Amino acid sequence: MNLDLTAEELAFREEASTWLRENLPTEARPPEGQEMRAFDLAWQRTLFDGGWAGINWPTEYGGRGLTDIQQMIWYEEFAKANPPFTLNNSCTFVGNLHGGPTIIVNGNEEQRSTYLPQILKGEAVWCQGFSEPGSGSDLASLSTKAEIDGDELVVTGQKTWTSYAHVADVQELLVRTDPTAPKHKGITWVVCDMNSPGIEIREIRTMSHVTDFCEVFYDEVRIPMSNVVGGLHNGWRTAMSTLGFERGTAFMADQVELAATVERLIDEAKIRVGPDGKRPAIQDDELARRLSLARAEVAALRAMTITGISRNARTDTPGPEGSIVRLFHGELHQRVYQLALDIIGADALRLTEVDGEGVWTGPYLQSFAYTIGGGTSDIQRNIVGERVLGLPRA
Amino acid sequence: MDLLPTEEQDEIINTVRSQLERNFDLHALAELDGANSVVDSTLWKQCAELGWFGLGLPEALGGVGYTLAEEALLFAEIGTHAAPGPFLPTVLAARLAAMVGATDLAAQILAGTQLVALAEPHGDTAAVAGATVSGTFRVTDFGGADLVLVLVGGSAAIVAASDLVAEPLASLDRLVPTAIGTVSQVPALCYQDDASGLQLRATVLIAAELAGIATATAQQSTQYAKDREQFGTPIGSFQAVKHRCADMAVRADAANSLVRYSAIAVLDGLPDAAFHAHAARVVATNAAIENSQINVQNHGGIGFTYEHTAHRFVTRAQVRSRTVGDLRSHLGGLLDQPAAL
Repeated sequence: MNLDLTAEELAFREEASTWLRENLPTEARPPEGQEMRAFDLAWQRTLFDGGWAGINWPTEYGGRGLTDIQQMIWYEEFAKANPPFTLNNSCTFVGNLHGGPTIIVNGNEEQRSTYLPQILKGEAVWCQGFSEPGSGSDLASLSTKAEIDGDELVVTGQKTWTSYAHVADVQELLVRTDPTAPKHKGITWVVCDMNSPGIEIREIRTMSHVTDFCEVFYDEVRIPMSNVVGGLHNGWRTAMSTLGFERGTAFMADQVELAATVERLIDEAKIRVGPDGKRPAIQDDELARRLSLARAEVAALRAMTITGISRNARTDTPGPEGSIVRLFHGELHQRVYQLALDIIGADALRLTEVDGEGVWTGPYLQSFAYTIGGGTSDIQRNIVGERVLGLPRA
Repeated sequence: MDLLPTEEQDEIINTVRSQLERNFDLHALAELDGANSVVDSTLWKQCAELGWFGLGLPEALGGVGYTLAEEALLFAEIGTHAAPGPFLPTVLAARLAAMVGATDLAAQILAGTQLVALAEPHGDTAAVAGATVSGTFRVTDFGGADLVLVLVGGSAAIVAASDLVAEPLASLDRLVPTAIGTVSQVPALCYQDDASGLQLRATVLIAAELAGIATATAQQSTQYAKDREQFGTPIGSFQAVKHRCADMAVRADAANSLVRYSAIAVLDGLPDAAFHAHAARVVATNAAIENSQINVQNHGGIGFTYEHTAHRFVTRAQVRSRTVGDLRSHLGGLLDQPAAL
């Protein structure tokens, strides 16, 4: 137990802080379409050129091979630099934190050398094809089928909740390759080229007015067998390693940013008039107490994140304990934005973008995603109950 | 940076745990319910020999030479076992005496031969003015005590128990004897005008004990959910129960992680140490109160009985969350502290 940073980590913090001061974009992120894609990829390229892409990826795959603590330091310095956008609100998210890590663990050398550099250099946008209209929490029941035809898979079916499908180049796709096997055994994880014939994409508008959310239709889409990652019919295990990352460290940036958000909210509460119409909001007992609690709870979140990193450092792959942090973070994130609306007074009635400077209502609407995406809170509770605590399945 | 115990710290935890399991069984301790003193002097000396009272005190001052981090791990275990006794005032008083040079007094407290009660303000008359202590206090573990550690505002003092007139009251926690005591202008055996360092340690240690209560009740519920069968299956297979157990594990993890962080922040003298200590106290209080209450619910009828130990954690959480400040006072200071980031 210690909070010491090594000389190397301290130097890393200094290096990150200096670089961010000089290279952080000052313009807002375009909210949609090709402009958004171009902005996200340009930022990824800037990160790559500066040596900040794949901080905790192994060096043999183009990463810096640094520790999760250094990755956390980077996120902290990013949050402190007062950025005009949040780090994970990017179409590069799936590549950096899902597809990439899965290929590092489960891919073959050819797949690694093809996909990983594209992700790091900002040359490809990835999206995720997991959920289906009939398969949400019960992901393993998925029915999008892939027939084996020589050295190709022929995919027919539908995926949904696919963020950024409309601007993506490739997709991590789960398909049923063996309809006769038990449901967890007949699934394959495959990389799908989003420009393939037979793919149709429809945008879905979310409650936060974002149109990145998509559904994807596949009509006899042909994918080379060489795109299968982790083995034919072995996709469930491959997918679980991806979800392990998602529930482990993928949301670390969000967790770190939430601490900065609470500090900004405290500043807002000092300048905005409170509920009595006279004193600043921060002098209202109830609001002050909720702000204090939020501040304490983001401190707990940070400590839990460090505990998680300490655990991962002893086991290599993130275990189911990641769901504990994910659960705590999702609900805390929502409480913080619910509190924000009570602090900003009449501005609570004005709709804003989901991301950018001084926005609160857009992120409030967006916050509902935090207990749904990557496994709903109820699924996270099942994982904690069954895989961490060892309680029996239903 | 690492928030899990080292191998050496795990050994300390294991030693503490085996002593608590062997000698602080809650069913056996029930015979002391409502007594004026819950301290068995032989057992207390045994704990002293194990080094518990001077765990975080430098060897030069008669301690074991570990730190607040190890003390926090000890108190988490005390919380986990709902072990009764004046552990907190003992550890704090030994430190206070040692720090101000009252070497003999410190040695007797560390050896477990002088028992220490804890006095906190009751009403607004309590005062430590230089070496003089006066006023009305809420005193815990007064029966059998030789000394009383008095904490008022930012000051601390040790007085002789014989200088206090105490009136016991029916205590909510049957194993935490509580009394209202009055002192009129007595000289302290030793004192510290600015005991903010001691108070900060107290904040972390109580937070640790509360985090331990959150851990124990999460474990108790989880175990019961595995063992208890209804409708032909363990009740832990039902999502209503399973999800409550998961939420309890989340609260315990939040509390324990932040307590460990705060212990090291105080130990290292970080600029945000006070913030983290108060934050830990707040998060651990909520975790202990909520988990101990839900633990009763998870056990159904048996959890409502006196025989079952679930209620021990409920009352201990209520008492400790009101020891050396309460939720409100610790929340209150949080916004005044500099940002943690």
